[in-house]
Amino acid sequence: MSEDVFREIDRPWRLWASAIVVGVLAFGCLSGFVILPVIQGYQAGIDPYTAICRSLGILPGSPAARQPVSTAPAAPVSQVSWGPSLIARLNKPDAARGQEIAASVCAACHGEKGLTADPAQFPNMAGQSAFAIYKQLHDYKSGARANEIMQPVVADLTDEQMADVAAHFAALQQARWEQTWVRAASPQVETIVRTGDSARGLPACESCHNPRSGGPIETPVLFAQTKEYLALQMQAFKSGSRKNDLYRRMRSISEKLTDSEIDQLAQYYFEQR
Amino acid sequence: MAARTEHEVLATELRWTIAVVASVALISLAILWAGLVHFINPPSNLETIDPTKVHLSPEFTEANLGTRVDEGGRVTTRIVTAQFAFIPPCVVVPADEPVTLRLVSPDVIHGVLVTGTNVNTMVVPGYVSQVHTVFQKTGDLLMPCHEYCGIGHSQMWSTVRVVPKAEFKPGPDGRALCEKP
Ligand code: HEC
Ligand code: HEC
Ligand SMILES: [Cu+2]
Repeated sequence: MSEDVFREIDRPWRLWASAIVVGVLAFGCLSGFVILPVIQGYQAGIDPYTAICRSLGILPGSPAARQPVSTAPAAPVSQVSWGPSLIARLNKPDAARGQEIAASVCAACHGEKGLTADPAQFPNMAGQSAFAIYKQLHDYKSGARANEIMQPVVADLTDEQMADVAAHFAALQQARWEQTWVRAASPQVETIVRTGDSARGLPACESCHNPRSGGPIETPVLFAQTKEYLALQMQAFKSGSRKNDLYRRMRSISEKLTDSEIDQLAQYYFEQR
Repeated sequence: MAARTEHEVLATELRWTIAVVASVALISLAILWAGLVHFINPPSNLETIDPTKVHLSPEFTEANLGTRVDEGGRVTTRIVTAQFAFIPPCVVVPADEPVTLRLVSPDVIHGVLVTGTNVNTMVVPGYVSQVHTVFQKTGDLLMPCHEYCGIGHSQMWSTVRVVPKAEFKPGPDGRALCEKP
């Protein structure tokens, strides 16, 4: 068969195909720019002309009604805001100054190498996330987190000094989480840590506390922290005596944990070293 | 089966054209149906907010979250959707009355729907998502996150408690809180 014959067979087909495409387009425009806006506008008390103009973007779509106003005063639970300059500072600290502050101020309680002088009283610092340390120091200073011992310690530190010392402790003994996992004594605890509990709305601890999980930036590392400190903090979140966690993250979680679960979780993370 | 004649080719093409047009028509009708019967439409409110400062903002400060009735009697429910929880975890709203939901995310994209209602929106960091609705059924409605937001996503859900108008009793400051079940 020759070219001409093919073209002849194709002609009506091409016409029909074009008609269908145009038809679908027209139907789309009709429903999107006329039917939907007019009927929905009618229900919202908007006249058809305005509704069509709004759907075309000629008239602003918002606000359709007066926007609710809020007269609430701001009462932030923490003043820390993760802006780009702060993150840059934590990634590029003044290491020498961090080392110096750590040795002269913090070592007495948190240890020369970031390992606590007394596990019953002071938490470990080595390998902790720099973001977590910075946030806590800032919160002690602003009063968002209350503690008689730590608040005077940080009172004179500038934001830059806090970032430097935070990065210094973070750099000690990194990558502890590469080590093998010790299994929890009870399967329930293992479940809370690894998979969470949907019925209670309890996300897995690891969905935030695993440094590679992509959770909130300020999430502290729990591995090898002292078990006394871990349990104390969960209890403090539960009772509300510590409330500097953004968006109630740890308060809502701790409220759902029983005392025995808290002890077992503290034991569990303490053992991962 | 290989097509042998020009006629067979045409017939096949025609069948597939019908199938495609029918699918497109079906999807369009489904969209129309959703828009006209279930009142589902894209949000018309464009409002920005700095996601790193959500907790510092007056409107979304912790003590202001949840349902509040303003002097004009308008009911507004403010919710922060953050990895991996809704704050507050339960909100109470009156039935048969206009309610405005205002949602923000400080971290990643979350999605919100209230089961059995037309409330369904994404919550994109940087924007305030706003939904106007009227709750008709009373009871505890499930509000899950429907946009994968991280490993804890499947534990991210909350409750919308719709109570009859008479039982909706905001406090003197206009705030209404979920009582523990
Ligand atoms: C006098 C002892 C003492 C000194 C000195 C001290 N700390 Fe502390 N630190 C504590 C105690 C006690 C706590 C637990 C406080 C609490 O329960 O809120 C603590 C808690 C912390 C926390 C919170 C840890 C967490 O994971 O929640 C950080 C961070 C911290 N200290 C950093 C520092 C830094 C940095 C320095 C030096 C600038 C320092 N500390 C100096 C006693 C001390
Ligand atoms: C949604 C994310 C998330 C989940 C899930 C989560 N945490 Fe946390 N956790 C945080 C954040 C963020 C902080 C830091 C709070 C702050 O800013 O002060 C924290 C702090 C803590 C602290 C205090 C540690 C310190 O050094 O101060 C403990 C203990 C803790 N979490 C235990 C747990 C346990 C156990 C689980 C599982 C039951 C869990 N967390 C689940 C985000 C989470
Ligand atoms: Cu989510």
